Amino acid sequence: MTRPNSHSSRVLAIDPTTHGFGFTILESPTMPVDWGMPVIRKGDKEKALVRVTALIKQYEPNVLIIEEPKGSRRCGRVRELLEAISLIKVKGLKIRRFSTKRVKKVFRAFGAQTKYEIARAIAHQVPELASWLPRFRKPWMSEDKRTSIFDAAALALTYFHSRSIRARNSERTGLIPDSIVVSAPPVLLN
Amino acid sequence: MASHKLPNYIRHHRKRLGLSQEDVAFLLGWNGSAQTSRYEHFCRIPTLRTALALSYIFQSSIHELFSGEKEEVEEAVSKRAQILEEQLQRKSSSRAAARKLDFLKSIIIPKAGRL
Repeated sequence: MTRPNSHSSRVLAIDPTTHGFGFTILESPTMPVDWGMPVIRKGDKEKALVRVTALIKQYEPNVLIIEEPKGSRRCGRVRELLEAISLIKVKGLKIRRFSTKRVKKVFRAFGAQTKYEIARAIAHQVPELASWLPRFRKPWMSEDKRTSIFDAAALALTYFHSRSIRARNSERTGLIPDSIVVSAPPVLLN
Repeated sequence: MASHKLPNYIRHHRKRLGLSQEDVAFLLGWNGSAQTSRYEHFCRIPTLRTALALSYIFQSSIHELFSGEKEEVEEAVSKRAQILEEQLQRKSSSRAAARKLDFLKSIIIPKAGRL
């Protein structure tokens, strides 16, 4: 009897904003399980942490990905929340942090430079998210709240991308990585 | 943290199609969205009729929609098959027993494949 790949990792990426946070849960670069943007009024850090913990409890991810708070240009409340999330300790849950620079570098290789281009690239890669793609932002418009879902997805895809590169490198050197190799290399864009 | 499949992927399919919990509840013949929410939060397991209806709504096979649940059920059946196999091996060595043993071996998940 054949068994499905039971070692595929579930990744939860969180992008806190001033009005809550955006999240994306992916099982592979093309398989989103859940996504959304819970609104937390008055920037209540405790409430946000409760929601994040509830997501962890429900979906039991293997990896939690957030933006690197050090050197981040986000506002103080968001940086505080990022710090607080990075302190969450759950058995078997790894926390990975990626700087915005790193995310942009990954997507630049696929021809996406601006936030909107990155969001479009993600909508192309993960069609389930396409209907959530915000409209192109004109200079006088404020940022659409849905952008946080795509920012979180960008973090998750950066993780998958870096993991596939690590797996490829260790294959070349003959070493088996501590984490199981991704079954299919992520294709971010055509 | 466990790396197994989720009990169900109802939320994924619902969001993929842009349906609300109320829409799904209506299609299932209910009034409120509470039961849909319970399924999505893995608090309840749907009945066979509901599972078939969900499979039809999302145009997805039941084992795809409930892959985690399927894994769990297979695991449990496999363990019981192993117990039955051991009992049979101890009891008799007739041809009928050998046939049963062959069948049981086919549904026992090897230990390496277990979660």
